[in-house]
Amino acid sequence: MSTEDTTDAEAREQLIDLAAEFYDQFAAGEIPRMELPTRTKSNIEYDPEKSVWVYGDRKSTRTANSVSGARKLLKAAYTIEFLANQLDQDRSSTLRELYYLSESWDNEEAQFNGQDESNNLVEDLEIITGVTREDFHMRPEESGATLMGPLELREQTRRGEREIHCQLDVGEGGYQIPNNPDTIEFLDHDIDFVMCVETGGMRDRLIENGFDDEYNCLIVHLKGQPARATRRITKRLRDELGLPVLVFCDGDPWSYRIYGSVAYGSIKSAHLSEYLATPEAEYVGIRPQDIVDYDLPTDPLSDSDVNALESELDDPRFQTEFWEEQIELQLDIGKKAEQQALASRGLDFVTDTYLPERLEEMGVL
Amino acid sequence: MTSQQTTLGEGATTAEELAEGQREISIAEFFEKNKHMLGFDSGARGLVTAVKEAVDNALDATEEAGIRPDIYVEIREVGDYYRLVVEDNGPGITKEQLPKVFGKLLYGSRFHKREQSRGQQGIGISAAVLYSQLTSGKPAKITSRTEGSAQAEYFELIIDTDTNEPEIGTAETTSWDRSHGTRIELEMEANMRARNQLHDYIKHTAVVNPHARIELREPGLDEPLKFERATDQLPAETEEIRPHPHGVELGTLIKMLDATDSYSVSGFMQEEFTRVGKKTADSVLDSFRDRHFGRELGWPARNGAPSADVAAAIEGALREAVSNKGADATDTFAERIANSLTERERTTYSQLVDIVATVADEVGTDTGKTFGATVRENAVAAAWGELTKFGAGDAADNGEDADLDRLTPTLYELVDDATSTRKDDAAVHGLAERLAERFVALGDDDEPNRMRLTLDDLTTLVHEAADTTEEYDDETFGDTARENVVEALWSRMVTVPDDPPNVNEIAGDRDTASELLEAMRETDILSPPTDCLAPITAELVEAGLRKEYDADFYAASTRDAEVHGGDPFVVEAGIAYGGEIPADGNVDLLRFANRVPLVYQRGACATTNVVKRIGWRNYGLDQPGGSGMPSGPAVISIHVASTNVPFTSESKDALASVPEIEDEIELAIREAARELKSYLNKRRSMAKRREKQDVLGRILPQMAEKVAEVTGRQHPDIEGAMARIMNNVGVDRERDGESVTLRVENHSDRSESLEITEIVSAEPEGLPDGVEPIEMDGEWFVNWHPEVGSGETVELEYSLPTDADADATVDGVDDEKLTVNA
Repeated sequence: MSTEDTTDAEAREQLIDLAAEFYDQFAAGEIPRMELPTRTKSNIEYDPEKSVWVYGDRKSTRTANSVSGARKLLKAAYTIEFLANQLDQDRSSTLRELYYLSESWDNEEAQFNGQDESNNLVEDLEIITGVTREDFHMRPEESGATLMGPLELREQTRRGEREIHCQLDVGEGGYQIPNNPDTIEFLDHDIDFVMCVETGGMRDRLIENGFDDEYNCLIVHLKGQPARATRRITKRLRDELGLPVLVFCDGDPWSYRIYGSVAYGSIKSAHLSEYLATPEAEYVGIRPQDIVDYDLPTDPLSDSDVNALESELDDPRFQTEFWEEQIELQLDIGKKAEQQALASRGLDFVTDTYLPERLEEMGVL
Repeated sequence: MTSQQTTLGEGATTAEELAEGQREISIAEFFEKNKHMLGFDSGARGLVTAVKEAVDNALDATEEAGIRPDIYVEIREVGDYYRLVVEDNGPGITKEQLPKVFGKLLYGSRFHKREQSRGQQGIGISAAVLYSQLTSGKPAKITSRTEGSAQAEYFELIIDTDTNEPEIGTAETTSWDRSHGTRIELEMEANMRARNQLHDYIKHTAVVNPHARIELREPGLDEPLKFERATDQLPAETEEIRPHPHGVELGTLIKMLDATDSYSVSGFMQEEFTRVGKKTADSVLDSFRDRHFGRELGWPARNGAPSADVAAAIEGALREAVSNKGADATDTFAERIANSLTERERTTYSQLVDIVATVADEVGTDTGKTFGATVRENAVAAAWGELTKFGAGDAADNGEDADLDRLTPTLYELVDDATSTRKDDAAVHGLAERLAERFVALGDDDEPNRMRLTLDDLTTLVHEAADTTEEYDDETFGDTARENVVEALWSRMVTVPDDPPNVNEIAGDRDTASELLEAMRETDILSPPTDCLAPITAELVEAGLRKEYDADFYAASTRDAEVHGGDPFVVEAGIAYGGEIPADGNVDLLRFANRVPLVYQRGACATTNVVKRIGWRNYGLDQPGGSGMPSGPAVISIHVASTNVPFTSESKDALASVPEIEDEIELAIREAARELKSYLNKRRSMAKRREKQDVLGRILPQMAEKVAEVTGRQHPDIEGAMARIMNNVGVDRERDGESVTLRVENHSDRSESLEITEIVSAEPEGLPDGVEPIEMDGEWFVNWHPEVGSGETVELEYSLPTDADADATVDGVDDEKLTVNA
């Protein structure tokens, strides 16, 4: 997917081509259809060349031969027109705006029934045209997360270029990652490693304790399941600056999935794995092993936790020795712990003891 | 009671005087005071009931004579009163019978018969006569003409309520235009407030009697309501039958035992009951013996201790028991008995007596020695003693075998099998030993212990043993465990060959009679013959509905005959759906008993209860709240035919809740409802298909226009694409609980062979033979190759846990022609 250099004109052409394909199908007396990779767990596979997980060969076809299929294709046609016009006029909009905007279309059948529907359709168009939604000038609602650390960059904003140092020029909140991080240019840095942190509480703890300063660490706040922009900038930090990337999450199955989407790519956006995933990212903790080693305060695993862990054992992305061992250990002890559980040993425990020990063990320090 | 005071001192005369004050209350007088019991509680209702009774009578009279009923009902206002006229084309009634039929309560030919008929008590029509007489003071006017007679007879008749005797005021001959038939004219105080019920009654009568022609005239109608005949086929003639063993009560049974000419129970059973032949009588007798005498527990000839040779021990005991028969004969005798015992799995006391007798005869013939009764008795005692040897014996007698116990190991195996494996072994052994102790303690001192017990006694014995074991061995034996032990023991026990008591003895002893009754009820016996019943038959139920309801769909079912209270019954159900039937509100429920529509007290009727408890949503009807009366454009009709329909009251408005009948009603309705369901499913899938054509017919041109706009080209020709879509093969999935149905509908003009691959996330079950699921990485692949003819539908069914995912892919049909919704 040649994403970085897609110009507006090229993106627009891709969309028109898709519409033309529908047109040709009609003209040939065929039922209009589009073919998409099946977006399920069983249809993602490892691409050894690029070291990321991508969609496999299973395809599902969406045809106008059923009521719901025809409605989706009609909506696709309207959305194509909208996106093409948006590119033409050099405007942008959010996914949510697209959903509301559909209300103004003349055809009720083409209007979206919910935000999920419009989000999914934009993803479908991304997959088929090979153009990312950023290049369609579509952005998500919530902004990307934040960076804090010894990094100097230049951002291309609508109000001109800004040069920013992500430690010296920003407040406690850090540097806000823009929706399209490809508008950023890295200028200079003093970073030894990148640490992606799941929760805001832990991020603030690290900054309050001066961890970024002391260890020359760039702290990326993931804010739960990371947005595309966060994953994209992480990938670029690794690829362009050659920095080790570490992920620090809670010790529960949902957090492993967060790590999974940083490192291996998510199932929903496996078509963008090459562009978003950072296969070199390493998992710091909390590991089930840590729960045992540090005797952390825990919660029992709920039924859905157990199901999630079991489903991760089946997940091709987690079929490594490390994960199988950890997940089985967790199923065995039946417990989970949050990052904040480390505070049971004191507020400085995480920065003075836990992280230095873990990082040394992992060979980062 | 004032006279009582004055005569109190005079002793004997008091009773006489009191008796003078008492007099017989006539039935007519009684009902005069209890009109409501017969359905005459108000003027409105009284009129409907009178019509009902007269029409029922007319239908019965014509059918019995094999005539297709032609019935005329007229209601006219006459001053303050209403005049009801009901005419039929029946055989007419003879002069002698006429006043009794119409004028005397409880006169009827049917009360004592086990045969289906509309009326049963002979109360109905005479009650109508009585009601008219009481309210208007006018006599009933009856005209009757028997076939072939030149003139009709005309009577005016009133009932003397004191004596229950009819009085004929006028009796003369008259002319009548019908060649045969009966006409009754009643004048009564009434009103037409129950017009709807009246119309319902007549209409429903027409539904359930498609062979009848009925006409109704009443003041509210501009022109008469006419219901024409839908079939010329009369209901089957009914036969009278003997009672069925499953349906008699104890009192009836004792009466029958008293009255019968038979001597033996077997003869009595075969003679007096329907569906009882020699074989059935024998199984009833066996079951009766089990209850009366109990069963015997048999024991294997087996080693109780490693050193003991059981065959040798039995032989030894037998040799000792036989004296003066010579060594050879004694040896042969003892050897043969011992052999036959060791060959057998188990032997009961009675079987042992048999064996000893057989061997004694054989050996007697072979050796010329006679083994008399005493010798045989001794031999039985000796062999039984060995078989049931139980350690308690004193050491002097048994020498080193003092502790030999042949019973406990046998019982241990049995108890161990019957109870759960988690029981403590020592406790199981303890229970076995306690059971053995109790078996040994059975019987009287002067009689041998045959180890004979009834089921009740056995249950008590097991409970005692289990209680004791719980107390000493600290292991619980719950109810299930105990039941299992009882069951295991009882099933190993053997029915005894003793002759059952004869009929006279049973009749004289209530307990024994009750044992016989229980035995009759427990034995499987064929359902009673149905020739005493005249079900409408499924086709005619449907024809009746078709005649009166203009619906889109009809279904009907007739169940096989069943028995309740010795009376066979048949339940039939019909459903009409759609068409002109009003869609708002609850469905209409038509209730019939012996072809008579039930109009009042719907809420109290067993049929209503059953309809309410069925989950109609499963069958495609709306049912607010998931229970209660379903709603929608449907009519449900239920017919119960029986030699004795159980009503909640004499007015015969509602069926009583008899579980056997309710179950059959439910099954009959469900049978018809299943047809309704498949019809509605088909209709829905057609509707879905139509909707699809509508929606696609609208969307695709719009889409074509949009892509033309975006690409800046001419509007494309989409006809080819549309044609492909509209003429296609559909695969739809339906999941109902765990059952999964893939429905393949071929709407194209040629037959298609499909290859359907279903990928599911859990192991599928209930697949047909030849379809094997293949597991791969936690997913199962199931392959079908259905052939579907043009215009046909094939359903592929299996079951899958409700939370499992399933996804089907279909090959073998051009993609354009295929709609997969699965």
